[in-house]
Amino acid sequence: MLNRRAALAATLGLSLSASFATIAIAQAPSGKVTVVTSFSKDVTDPIKKAFEKAVPGVTLEVQNRNTNAGVKYVEETKANNQVDLFWASAPDAFEVLKGKKLLTAYKPKATGIPEKIGSYPINDPQGFYFGFAASGYGIMWNDRYAKANKLPEPKDWQDLAKPAFYDHVSIAAPARSGTTHLTIETILQGEGWENGWRTIKTMAGNFRSITERSFGVPEAVNSGQVGVGIVIDFFALSAQASGFPVKFVYPSVTTVVPANVGIIANPPNKAAAEAFIEFLLSPTGQEVLLEPGIRRLPVNPAVYAKAGADYPNPFTDPRFQKMIGFDVDKSEARTAVVDTLFDQLISFQLDALKGVTKTLHEVDAALAKKPNPQAKALADEARALIAALPVTQIQAASPELRGAFTGGKEKGARQAEIEAQWASFARDNYAKAKVKAEEALKAAK
Amino acid sequence: MNANVSLTTPAVSVDIEGVNLSYGTNHVLKDVNLAIRPGEFFAFLGPSGCGKTTLLRLIAGFNQADTGQVRLSGKDISGLPPWKRDVGMVFQSYALWPHMTVRRNVAFGLEERGVKRAEVEQRVEAALGLVGLAHLADRRPSQLSGGQQQRVAVARTVAVEPKVLLLDEPLSNLDAKMRVQVRRELRDLQQRLGLTTIFVTHDQEEANTICDRIAVMSDGVVQQVGTPMELYERPANLFVANFLGTANILEGKVKGAGETRAFEIEGGFSVPVPADRTVPEGARLVFRPQHAGLVAAGTAAPGLIALPCRVVHREFLGASVRYGARIGNSEVSVDLPFQSGSDLHEIGTDATLTLPRHALMWLAA
Amino acid sequence: MTAIPTSAPRARRLAATPGQIALALAIAAFLLMFLVLPVATVIYVAFTEKGTSNFTLVNFYDFFRTELFMRSLWNSFYVSAMSVVWASVFALPLAYLTTRFVFRGAAIVQTLGFLPLIMPPFVGAVAMQLFFGRNGSINLLLDDWFGFKIDFMEGLNGVIFVQSVHYFPFILINLSAALRNIDRAMEEAAQNLGSSGFRLFRRIVFPLAMPGYLAGASLVFVKVFDDLATPLLLNVKDMLAPQAYLRVTSIGIADPMGYVISVVLIVASVTAMWLSARALKGRDYATTQRGGGGLAKREMTRWEAVLGYGTVFLILALVLAPHMGLLLLSFATIWSYSPLPDAFTIAHYGRVFGESSIYIKNTLIYATLAGGIDIVLGVAIAYLVLRTKLVGREWLDWMATAALAIPGVVLGIGYLRTFYGVTLPDGTPLASLWITIVLALAIRRLPYALRACYAALQQISVSLEEAAENLGATKSRTVRRIVVPLMAGGILAGFVTSFSTAAVELSATLMLVQSNSDAPLAYGLYVFMQSAAGRGPGAALGVVAVLLVAACTFLSHLIIERSQKAKGMGH
Repeated sequence: MLNRRAALAATLGLSLSASFATIAIAQAPSGKVTVVTSFSKDVTDPIKKAFEKAVPGVTLEVQNRNTNAGVKYVEETKANNQVDLFWASAPDAFEVLKGKKLLTAYKPKATGIPEKIGSYPINDPQGFYFGFAASGYGIMWNDRYAKANKLPEPKDWQDLAKPAFYDHVSIAAPARSGTTHLTIETILQGEGWENGWRTIKTMAGNFRSITERSFGVPEAVNSGQVGVGIVIDFFALSAQASGFPVKFVYPSVTTVVPANVGIIANPPNKAAAEAFIEFLLSPTGQEVLLEPGIRRLPVNPAVYAKAGADYPNPFTDPRFQKMIGFDVDKSEARTAVVDTLFDQLISFQLDALKGVTKTLHEVDAALAKKPNPQAKALADEARALIAALPVTQIQAASPELRGAFTGGKEKGARQAEIEAQWASFARDNYAKAKVKAEEALKAAK
Repeated sequence: MNANVSLTTPAVSVDIEGVNLSYGTNHVLKDVNLAIRPGEFFAFLGPSGCGKTTLLRLIAGFNQADTGQVRLSGKDISGLPPWKRDVGMVFQSYALWPHMTVRRNVAFGLEERGVKRAEVEQRVEAALGLVGLAHLADRRPSQLSGGQQQRVAVARTVAVEPKVLLLDEPLSNLDAKMRVQVRRELRDLQQRLGLTTIFVTHDQEEANTICDRIAVMSDGVVQQVGTPMELYERPANLFVANFLGTANILEGKVKGAGETRAFEIEGGFSVPVPADRTVPEGARLVFRPQHAGLVAAGTAAPGLIALPCRVVHREFLGASVRYGARIGNSEVSVDLPFQSGSDLHEIGTDATLTLPRHALMWLAA
Repeated sequence: MTAIPTSAPRARRLAATPGQIALALAIAAFLLMFLVLPVATVIYVAFTEKGTSNFTLVNFYDFFRTELFMRSLWNSFYVSAMSVVWASVFALPLAYLTTRFVFRGAAIVQTLGFLPLIMPPFVGAVAMQLFFGRNGSINLLLDDWFGFKIDFMEGLNGVIFVQSVHYFPFILINLSAALRNIDRAMEEAAQNLGSSGFRLFRRIVFPLAMPGYLAGASLVFVKVFDDLATPLLLNVKDMLAPQAYLRVTSIGIADPMGYVISVVLIVASVTAMWLSARALKGRDYATTQRGGGGLAKREMTRWEAVLGYGTVFLILALVLAPHMGLLLLSFATIWSYSPLPDAFTIAHYGRVFGESSIYIKNTLIYATLAGGIDIVLGVAIAYLVLRTKLVGREWLDWMATAALAIPGVVLGIGYLRTFYGVTLPDGTPLASLWITIVLALAIRRLPYALRACYAALQQISVSLEEAAENLGATKSRTVRRIVVPLMAGGILAGFVTSFSTAAVELSATLMLVQSNSDAPLAYGLYVFMQSAAGRGPGAALGVVAVLLVAACTFLSHLIIERSQKAKGMGH
């Protein structure tokens, strides 16, 4: 399953000295190569420059689209495809493209790239897409905001569930942000289905907002509208580089998120597309990632020698090693279910969830002053109600449920039906929890 | 106040004193002085652009005078805004509000005055009854004919029992037959209400038929004030003579003095000037077509002034025949009563124009 | 036998000429091709049964049974209605004061009042947050001085606030036109009967301007109902349009509900337009009457002037605050959790001018072409609807109007799906040509231009056309020589609205842009606004966009005024 034939072949068969230039000349790519990407100009411009310098005769045409629109675009234009490459972070987007047979398998020749980063496999086992960079998830906060609101410095995920952070935290919706989805999935796999959701919901009770775009979170933190955001490192670090008063920390367990590239099925310029992948994976291409405006983590460990001492190295930094064994297949089987659960239990019920959470924070404060077993029991009941789930782990990965979301051809439950059930489950539980929490507060006072 | 609409207070006088009004360099009203008597039906008559509507709007408060006063029964209202003047105006376009029914239109002014609901309805009925439109009260203005709209506009204005009624060209949007009918109705209504009424028109016939007195205006100046007959018989100047009825005007110069004083018109003809007449500087000879006569050349009766002329034109008008007669380079009109069987002058023949001395006027511009 | 002086043009009882029929068919074909067909290829999913592709309405059953959707539906109605209320509060004083009074700077006020419509995407929202957000300039200052904050931008109220600021120009434009058309005798008659001040406005002036107001208000309602960008940027998801967008664009999920919601949006919008059209029927009373006094511009007394200018200033300050924020942002080095930026720089403009001139050029070309297509279609549809008795001519109107309600992303996907398979002789797909962007923009903005052309034609008396025909002009020549010149003001107004809103359109464009060299300005903005370092240049590009559109708008105003004056129609 995690067998990396490509990486193995590369380490065994090819000379380490094979420079990228010779490969390029051997294949003699030329003309225009079109890439659909979600990466910002800050990332694409330097890479484009370096690529066009390394492979003369090829121009890189960058089409900037958000990941969702990019996938839709490739899907809708497959009849007469004009795109060579898809270049984005979220692996699940590539999984969708792969599932729809919109990617071409390829075997990169580049060497020196290990199989895994942290415990996350770098490349697609079937060879349809390749990690070229990694990013770590972490916590970003606005320093001015934190000082004005007297927030403590967060160090770990659990901190964000504390009363001090109530209404100060922001996250992107996992359904809209592949990287956030990975974070949620990591927590679920690490802590187990039930406990994972409990952690997520406890944290969610402190959420200020759930944004629709990944970049919405760093944007809000940069401008000081929200204090704390759960973001990918480069968002925070490039904002720092631009001078914004923001800080960033990797929590003790961080998610490593690879950024990927893959060749579209039936590409107009296959040779140039391959050349681009080879460039990205070559030492030259990997070094470009170190630029302050890009600031991603190269997947070639050797490249870190050229980075500064304080540049995080996921291959040596223990925080990255702690990440639990991530099961890609498990994740993929329940992607839609996890995202929809998040939406129905959290995003669309956020007001109710926050309402209970606020009361529970008050109960905790009262209990800290004057312990009261009855109030504690009531609060625990409320917490149990919040944590309750409408589906078990096994149901979540079942083909029936999956079919409801991915438009399986067989007849069965409709997504809307299931959503409505989950929503009313959450609404009822939060309402009951609110009653319990208020009783607890009364008892505690 | 019951079903009868009539004045509860005696009619007021309207005095306009020393009014001047300019728009930039355009001097629209020049030292206007008028005294309109209580209960009078008064007209401002003049061609378009003479300032008559401006003067009317000034009374209503829509224009502000640069100098001068408008007084109602002696009380200066110049400083009051339109809505506090109690001067009712019927607009040329009627200005019926299309979003309201006839009833709501008429009720509007009463409602604005805070009249009680029941009384409003009564007085609306009365006002509409007065103009004979009670049965159309629930229609919209767009569903009425022009004459009906006009009557609604009048009803709307008189319903509030204004001190003065202003009518801005109220007949101009009606066809000829309606005009005759409506102007009679207006006159009747005014008589019944005894309301001081000012009527703006450019049509001398309208003014003559319904008004007690007329102020003839031209170029921002009141040219003459008088009853229709006075204005016709004794116009103060060429403009008035010309504007009221048809006037023949001949240019010329006064020659001689005393008994031999004569007015020499072009072509060398000379008309003796009676000793009692003053002839102002630059005056012209003026006479009405019906005062002149036309006879075969050389057959003028003694005692009449006779001028040789040539018949150049003939129009049959029914009761009379209008001839065009050329004297020198000028052409004058002569109206002769038509009697069946009598001979007519043929075009192209020479004839003699006869004028009685009393019919001659010498007027300056 | 008296003449009825009504100003409404009489409907003509004439059969259509072959030319008119051909025109109607051509327009119908165009709309079917570029609107109905692409949209249908996307939303037919709403009517199919899961797994079998059979026709079904069960998805709609699901829609009405789902609490979230019902809540979203209600929220959308509530937000749209409240936005109309607040938009009216902003628009009424501006429109009334600048049209019915001698108001110095009325033209500037009208132009500035148009600006909020051209708020560039993304960067506009950032600027608004920096001013009005929970920790925006105003709240930071309020908190500092008085110790409290106002939630301008929170939840549904935030959406209402932003939307009413954004869309109130629709009411301003239409209401101003209607107010200008009220004969002064209408007002004077009321004054003469003792009415003044606010009562006069409430009882006479406003009811008479109702058609214009309703036209604007219904546009605001529909736009707010269908807008997804603002709620999403404020993180409000429980409204219909964002729900549709989120569902349509979620990767890997084949959920018909997104398309069901799109259908609901379309039905609701067309219904709203239809209701407003019905309410307006037979109420065409805003035009000046025969023998009327034309437009009255009253002088204000000293206190009225103080109050009037004060009100206008306050409203303009409020509705232009986002633009002020944008301007500040474009010169700001860092602006974060502080009332004002830390320092100022002009570097962002340097970067924009270096990299983005191509975007500006493309935008001008696309928006001009789209606006041009819109007014041609607008004039043609208005003419067919108002001046012929063709069967089904209203359908052209409804079809074009329905474009208002179609989410840009649905149209974008529809275009890709419909036209990507169609190739040119050299093998490039039709959809990859930039003309596709122009067509999408034209379809999206057609409703604006159509309403303007419609209103303009409604105010032209049929007798003017009859006179031309009587003198031997054919129908087409009459249209060209009489109708179009008389409509010029309305046509230009329609062009300006289409042009300026197309210039900042994003949702459909983003789907259709094929290469950087064909990309319009909004795409450039999007690209900049994806990184922290791009915020300043993004704002600078936004400022450039606003200035560009404002300059074009002002120019058109000048042209309108000049042509009106030349025709003696000016005031």
